[in-house]
Order: sequence, then structure tokens, then C-alpha cells
Amino acid sequence: MKVPVSVTRLPRGPDGTSRGFDPNSPRYQALSPISISTVGCGNEADLEREQQGRVALRERYLRSLFAMVGRTIHFTMYERVNVSAFFDASDIDILNFQVSDLQTPLGVHREALLRCSDIISYTFEL
Amino acid sequence: MSEWQRKSPLEWQTYVNKEVKVTAAEKHEYEGWVLTIDPVSANVVLVKLTEDGKVCVSVILGHAVQEVEIVNEGDDETKERLAHLFMPEESRAYGHEELEKRKSSLKTWLETNHIPVTEQGESQRTLCVAGVLTIDPPYGPEDCSSSNEIILSRVQSLIQGHLASQ
Repeated sequence: MKVPVSVTRLPRGPDGTSRGFDPNSPRYQALSPISISTVGCGNEADLEREQQGRVALRERYLRSLFAMVGRTIHFTMYERVNVSAFFDASDIDILNFQVSDLQTPLGVHREALLRCSDIISYTFEL
Repeated sequence: MSEWQRKSPLEWQTYVNKEVKVTAAEKHEYEGWVLTIDPVSANVVLVKLTEDGKVCVSVILGHAVQEVEIVNEGDDETKERLAHLFMPEESRAYGHEELEKRKSSLKTWLETNHIPVTEQGESQRTLCVAGVLTIDPPYGPEDCSSSNEIILSRVQSLIQGHLASQ
């Protein structure tokens, strides 16, 4: 008797028919360059000032993410959902947070990904 | 995309170090000092400093921000506290000669590991690796900057190894 062979297949691309990226997908739109606005086009001095501003703001934000690692974070989500979890990591585009021991009304999830689009705010203490 | 998310970094910077009131989705309200606004997601980081030295940080996601109102222009003392909040511990001061020694010994170490290093910047104090990573004084793992995280972690671990072997 023949033994069935399991087939491992990569998931389909976002447009369902190929592995290309669909420019209409929410992820593509969130990552596309137009989502990062710039006023300094053309004028080099303005562009540089803007880049320096962006660097200063971004560095502070990344360091705040770094300070969250391993701490309990309280998340306020839409529809009056409040959960808390240990923070592990974020993607660079701040679209998802990876957390562990997520305390939800239905129980505790060992590991979870929270979509940032579902979160209104998060709070932690130092 | 909301009006708040469409602001430019320079406009966001005008809120930094000021006390604000943020109105967010579903009638949530937050007050605190603005530490920063992430220029990618427009998330607002608010800090509350209490008398007993506790620090409470609230972050409102950019897409949920409806209105930001400045309630206090801020003072130098708070600005100073905010600036040091998440920054790495102040490293001890190094003398000019000591820095020069650290720089050349690190440069030699990287070169023995077949990593191309050049010196650049004001009085050649910044080391530059393959044009994509810079190391500023005092040349520790935390002083590396690069947008390529693979090279960054590789070079940081090399520097770690170098410091451990000394």
C-alpha cells in the first residue's frame, strides 16, 4: 500500500494567485514610502533639518521600546478591551507587537502577536 | 490617514518636552509630557513624572490620536529629565589619549577580523565600517550606528569580544 506523502507548500501571495505583493494590501500600504511624509523635497537644507528631526524623534521612540522589553504592559484596545502582557518585540514599522503571557478575559495566551491597528494606547511603569 | 499622522517631523518636534492633553479614539484622554512622537507610526509617547520618583509612560497609537492640545510649554528641568529617561547610562569620561588608544586598538582588532575600517568626521574620531556602520567614541558596542541590523549585530559582537579579550 502506498503511503501518502505530506506536501509542504508556501502560502500564497497577498493577491491570491502569485507570490508577488499586492500594492492594495494593508501591509504594503502601511510600508509604502508615501506613508512617510516629507516637506523638504527640492530644498536640501530643509530636507536635512527634517531628517535630523526625524532621527531625534525615532531614536527616542526606539529606546522607549527597548525599555519595555520584559516589563508588564497594559494595552487599551478598541471596544473597551483591556489586556496586559510581557512585551518582547516589535517590527520596525510598528505594525505588530510580540508579547508573552497575554492576560485576556478568556485566559492566558503563552505567546501572541497584537496588531497595532487594534490598540488605542499602552501604558507601563518604570 | 488622520491629520495627526500626516504631520511632518518638524511639526511633531514642536510638541516635544511640552505637557499636553491627548484626545484619542473612544473618548480616551491622556495627559503627560511628550517624550517623542514616532515619525513612522505617529505614536505619541507621554511621560508622567511623580513626586516619589516613579515614571509612568503612556503611548497613544498614531492612528487613534484625534487631538493634541498643549497645556504647558515646559521648563528646563523637565526637559533635562526627559532627555535622560531612556538614554544609556552616562559613560565615564575618557581622556583624549585614552580615546585615541581605544580607537586604534579597535581598528586593529576589526582589521585582523578582515573588516574594512576607515576614519572619518571631525578630527577623524568616528570609525566607519564598510561605509555602512559608524562607531563613535568611546567605541563600545552601544556606540555603533547602522541601518543594517545584520552588520550592526555582527560588529557589536566583535567589539564585545574585543573588550572581553582585553
